[in-house]
Amino acid sequence: MKFSDILASTIHDMKNSLSMVINTLDELSSENQGREDKRLSTLQHESKRLNNNLIALLSLYKIDEGRLSANIEEINVADFLEEVVIDNRTLANARDVALEYDCDEMLVGYFDEWLIRGVLNNLIGNGLRYTASRLLMRAEMADDYLVLRIEDDGAGFPQQMIDAQAAFNRSETLGEGQTQLGIYFAAMVARAHKNGDTTGYIELSNKEQLSGGCSSIWLP
Amino acid sequence: MYLTAGPLEGKAYLVVDDFGDMRSMMRNLLTSCGGKDVTLAANGTEALSKMQTRRFDVVLCDYNLGSGKDGQQVLEEARHRNLIGLGCVFLMVTAENAREMVMGAVEYEPDSYLTKPFNKELLKTRLEKLIARKADLLPVEQALDRHDHAAAVAILDRMIAEKSANSSDLRKLKGEILLNAGEIAGARKVYESALAIRDMPWARFGLGKTFYNDKQYEEARDIFQALIDDHKTYTAAYDWLARCCKALDQLPEAQAALQAAAEISPKAVRRQQLLGEIALQNQDNDTALAAFGNAVKHGRHSVYKHPSAYANLAKVTASVKQGDAGLKILRDMKREFVRNPHADLYLATAESEIHEGMGNSDASKASMERAAMIYEELDHHSHTDCSLEMAKAYKRMGMEEKAVDLMQSAAFNNHTDDELLDEIKSTMRAMGLKQETLSSIDEIRKEVAALNNRGVELARNGKLEEAIELLETTAERMPGNRVVNLNTALVLLLEAENSAFTQEASARIDRYLQRVEAIEPDNRTLKKLQAKLQTLRDSSDAEA
Repeated sequence: MKFSDILASTIHDMKNSLSMVINTLDELSSENQGREDKRLSTLQHESKRLNNNLIALLSLYKIDEGRLSANIEEINVADFLEEVVIDNRTLANARDVALEYDCDEMLVGYFDEWLIRGVLNNLIGNGLRYTASRLLMRAEMADDYLVLRIEDDGAGFPQQMIDAQAAFNRSETLGEGQTQLGIYFAAMVARAHKNGDTTGYIELSNKEQLSGGCSSIWLP
Repeated sequence: MYLTAGPLEGKAYLVVDDFGDMRSMMRNLLTSCGGKDVTLAANGTEALSKMQTRRFDVVLCDYNLGSGKDGQQVLEEARHRNLIGLGCVFLMVTAENAREMVMGAVEYEPDSYLTKPFNKELLKTRLEKLIARKADLLPVEQALDRHDHAAAVAILDRMIAEKSANSSDLRKLKGEILLNAGEIAGARKVYESALAIRDMPWARFGLGKTFYNDKQYEEARDIFQALIDDHKTYTAAYDWLARCCKALDQLPEAQAALQAAAEISPKAVRRQQLLGEIALQNQDNDTALAAFGNAVKHGRHSVYKHPSAYANLAKVTASVKQGDAGLKILRDMKREFVRNPHADLYLATAESEIHEGMGNSDASKASMERAAMIYEELDHHSHTDCSLEMAKAYKRMGMEEKAVDLMQSAAFNNHTDDELLDEIKSTMRAMGLKQETLSSIDEIRKEVAALNNRGVELARNGKLEEAIELLETTAERMPGNRVVNLNTALVLLLEAENSAFTQEASARIDRYLQRVEAIEPDNRTLKKLQAKLQTLRDSSDAEA
C-alpha cells in the first residue's frame, strides 16, 4: 500500500466521522431554534468547511492518480442550484448572509454533478467568510459555455490574485490565503470538463453584479 | 423553517445502515420531513427480510454495510426477487464519491445517490422530486410490466416531446427499452441523437451495446475501448469490452479487460466468475484460482451465487495445490447447497475430475456415474448449463460422442438462443473438436428454423393437418424447444377452434404448453396460449 492510498482511506474515514458531527450539530441547532448561539454556528461552519476541504482533497488525489474523469450528464441547472442553496442555507442564515441563486428554470447544462457540487460548496464556504451580507450564484450560457458564478458583496479579490489567475488554470500555483484550495480545486475540476477541443477554466474578477469578488466557472 | 405536510407524510420508509447512531439520525431526519412510518435495518439480510414481510415506498440504503452484503447487492437482490415494487424509490447513501458505483452498476441502478452528510431540507427536496418522477414514470413501468414495450416507448416519446430540454433520463430509458426489445435500429437512433448534442458516457455505452447485439463485435469493441480510455473507472464498459473480445475469440484481451474491472470493483460476482472461466481457457490457473475464490467469497450472499464457481474453485485448487484441498472445497459446497440437484451435478463432475487427477480412477468413474444419474433426473431443458457441464465431463472421460450428442441436443432445443449457441461452439473449440462438428451447430439452427417456419407457413395457408403433423414430429425430436412447442400448441388450438373441441384435443395441447411452462413459466406467448385454451375449455363446458 502506498502512502497516498493510506491517506485517501484515512480521509474517507475522517469524512464518516465528520458526517456524524455535522448531523449532530444540525440536530442541536434545530432543538435550539429561536435561541442564538454563536458558538454553535461557528462549529457548524468550521465542520462544514473541513468536510468540503476533505472532499476537495479526495477528488484532487483521484485526479492526480488519473482515476477521476468528469462523468458528464445532462443537468437541470436551476434544480441543481436549488439543492446547493438548500444544502448551505442553515449555515448562511446563522451568519446572516442571504444566499440566493439566479438561473433560468429551463437552463440545461452538461457537467459532472458531483464534482461541481463539491466546487460550489467549497466556494460558498469561502464566500461566507469574506462577504458582507449576500452571496449570489448565477448561471447562464455565454459563448457556448455554461458559466456558473459565485459573487459576494465583500471587499473583493486582491489585485495580485486576479493577476495570478492564469497560473491557477495551469495549476502551477496554489496562490495565497485561505481560499487557495477552493480555487485550485475549482480550476482542476473545470479543466476536467472537456467538449471536443474546448476545455473548462475559471475566472476571478471583482464588482460584477455585486460589489465584491466573483468566481466564475466556465464549462464547455 | 417549518415544514408543511407534503407527499412524504404517508409513505413507508426503510433505513438500512450498519451504524446504530446513523440509523437513528436518519430516522430523525425522516421524522422531521414528515415521515411517520420508518423501519430500521442494520444489515442487508435484515433489510431483505423486512422487505419480504411488507412493501416500502422509499428505501434509504447505505452503500457500505460492513462485512455482509453491500448496498448494491441489497438493491440487486431486492429487484431480482421483486421485493420492491415499481413505484419504490431506492436511494443509495454514500460516504464519498459515488462515481465508481454509478459507473460500475450493470443491471440495477438506484434511483438516486445521496452523499453524506445531508440535512433534512436537502433530503426532503430530493425525496419529493424522486417521488414525483416515479409518479410520472408509472404508466411507462406499468406498460413494461405488461411486456408492452411499444406502449412504453410511445408514452416516453410523448413525455420527451413535452419536455424538449432536460429529457436525458427519459431518452436513456427509451434506449434501454428498445435494446431489451431487440429493436437495435431504434435504440441506435436514440444514442446517436443524444451524442449529436453532446458526448455523454451513457450514450456511448448504449451505442456500443447496439453494435454488439448486431454482432458487429469489432465496432462494439472499439467503442467500449475508447470509452474506457476516457473513463478509467467505468467498469461496465470493461465487462462489455470483454464480451466483445470473447465473441471475437480474443481470449487474452477478454481476460485483461475483466482483470482491470475486477481490480476497480472486486465484489461483482458474475464478473469474477467469467474471469475465472476465461482464465481457465487461457490456461492461467493462478488468475482462475483467485477469480473463482472471489466469486465464491462475494457470492455467498448474492443472487448470483452459482454452483459452477464452487466446482471450478475446487477443480483449480486441486490442480494448482493438491487434490485433497479440492475435495475439501466440494465438502464445503455440499453444505452451501442443500438438496439442490443442480449443484449436485456440478459437485459430482468436479469430484470425478479431481479423483481422476489423483489417480483414483474407480472413484472417478463412480462420481461420473452419479453425475449421469443426476443429469437424467434433472429437468435439463431448463438448465442448459448442466448439459454443457456434462458434455465437458464426458469428453474428459474419453466419451466424445456422448459429449457432442448433448451439445447438439442443447442446440436443437434452443435454436434461437444465439449466446448459448456461441457458448456451445466455443466449448467445442476448447475441446479440440473438428470444424465439421462446430459447423453442425449452425446447421442445426438453420434446420430447426426451417422446419418451424414451414410449419407456420402451412398453417397460415390453411393446411392445418400438414402443419400439425410436421410440427408434432419436430416437437418430439426437440421436447425442450420453446418456439417449436409453442407453435405446435398454437396450430392445435387453431384446429380445435375450427372443429370440435374434445377432452383429447385439450390434453394434447396442454402437453406442449406444459413443456414450456416447465422451462420458462413467465413466457408471454405461453401465457396467451394458456388463456386461449382456458377460454375454449370454458365455452365447451358451458355447451355441455
